[in-house]
Amino acid sequence: MKFKDYYQILGVPREASADDIKHAYRRLARKYHPDLNKEPEAEARFKELGEAYEVLKDPEKRAAYDDVGKRWQPGAEQPPPGWDSGYEFRGGDDAFAGAGGFGEHSDFFEALFGHRGAHARHRAPPRAQDHHAKVMIDLVEAYRGAQRGIRLQVPTLDAQGHVVLSERTLDVAIPAGVREGQHLRLAGQGAPGFDGAPAGDLYLEIHFRPHPLYRVDGRDVYLELPVAPWEAALGADVAVPLPDGSVQMSIPAGSGQGRKLRLKGKGIPGKTPGDLYVLLQIAVPPPANDAQRQAWRELAKAQPFNPRADMGVK
Amino acid sequence: MKPSSLTVLQCQVVEEEVPMSLAELCRACGTERELVVQLVEHGVVEPQGASPQAWVFAGASLQRTRVALRLLHDLELNLPGAALAVDLLDEIARLQRLLQAAR
Repeated sequence: MKFKDYYQILGVPREASADDIKHAYRRLARKYHPDLNKEPEAEARFKELGEAYEVLKDPEKRAAYDDVGKRWQPGAEQPPPGWDSGYEFRGGDDAFAGAGGFGEHSDFFEALFGHRGAHARHRAPPRAQDHHAKVMIDLVEAYRGAQRGIRLQVPTLDAQGHVVLSERTLDVAIPAGVREGQHLRLAGQGAPGFDGAPAGDLYLEIHFRPHPLYRVDGRDVYLELPVAPWEAALGADVAVPLPDGSVQMSIPAGSGQGRKLRLKGKGIPGKTPGDLYVLLQIAVPPPANDAQRQAWRELAKAQPFNPRADMGVK
Repeated sequence: MKPSSLTVLQCQVVEEEVPMSLAELCRACGTERELVVQLVEHGVVEPQGASPQAWVFAGASLQRTRVALRLLHDLELNLPGAALAVDLLDEIARLQRLLQAAR
């Protein structure tokens, strides 16, 4: 386990005031919040910031952290002996705990403060909570539907009222036609109810794994399709790969680079199925021998063409 | 087919087929009724129905409510700020779709 430098994460010196820490956190949190920043590393960065702020904004936790930091050998992978004992923390009454925020902690944090430092509750919540989880699926699964085993880490209360993580697996039928960002509701699969209250629900937020060929927008799907110059010029019937098969498509004669052709209803299926848009990309084969070079020269002779005519140059 | 397929859980797509009451939306977002009422007052979500008891939220309200709650909590925004941010995020998403379609 590596020592986490919370001051460095927030970009503040060790003697920073509570106000400095708050300002640094607010500025960076706005920059890296996963709802505002769609870069892939933003969520991890934001979690790190939240953890650093959670420790440094709390005078008790900050003092404990500073104490451990002083005793940690530079470059050491191991914490100093007895480092994780003697600190006791009461959990904050956080109305958002379990609301599916971005509140996971590093091993370093867990070792120093425990689960209790973050989530402690000394009594069961008054009613069963709904749980949220994210699920990554492939585009083809949105076309065909899928059955998925989903492993969830579920915080449960042990006999002492402490939060412990237990794992359970659910087999879920993901319906065909589901789209990026939608939520699936699994009734009764959230937190168990206490004193006869019904169990909460489980919500799964759907995300698509990036696909090398297709880009998805809502229910529509986009594909860049390479075509030969003569296919674009003369028209051709070509095979187009679909996420769940393939189809023959006619390319109209005289098609230019970037022309958008629609395959109606071939997007993500549903009551109103999406469309699949094919964007033509003209691919030019480099001539490899004299005969091929000669053929291009003859084409140039037969069809004088200045693609830069609109730019005021010859 | 595996015999275990009998235990496969069926689910509903919230955005398509699950209108929610105020209580259901609060529970799904893990938050208090007062806060969701305030989000409605600031126009973050717009339920059908005259009074909170009769409110019906379209499935898409879940996403907007959760984003607003995360921004309120994580960035320590106030309600008008969070409402503005949620609107702007939707506007950015709409413009990005237009931009992609215009390519």
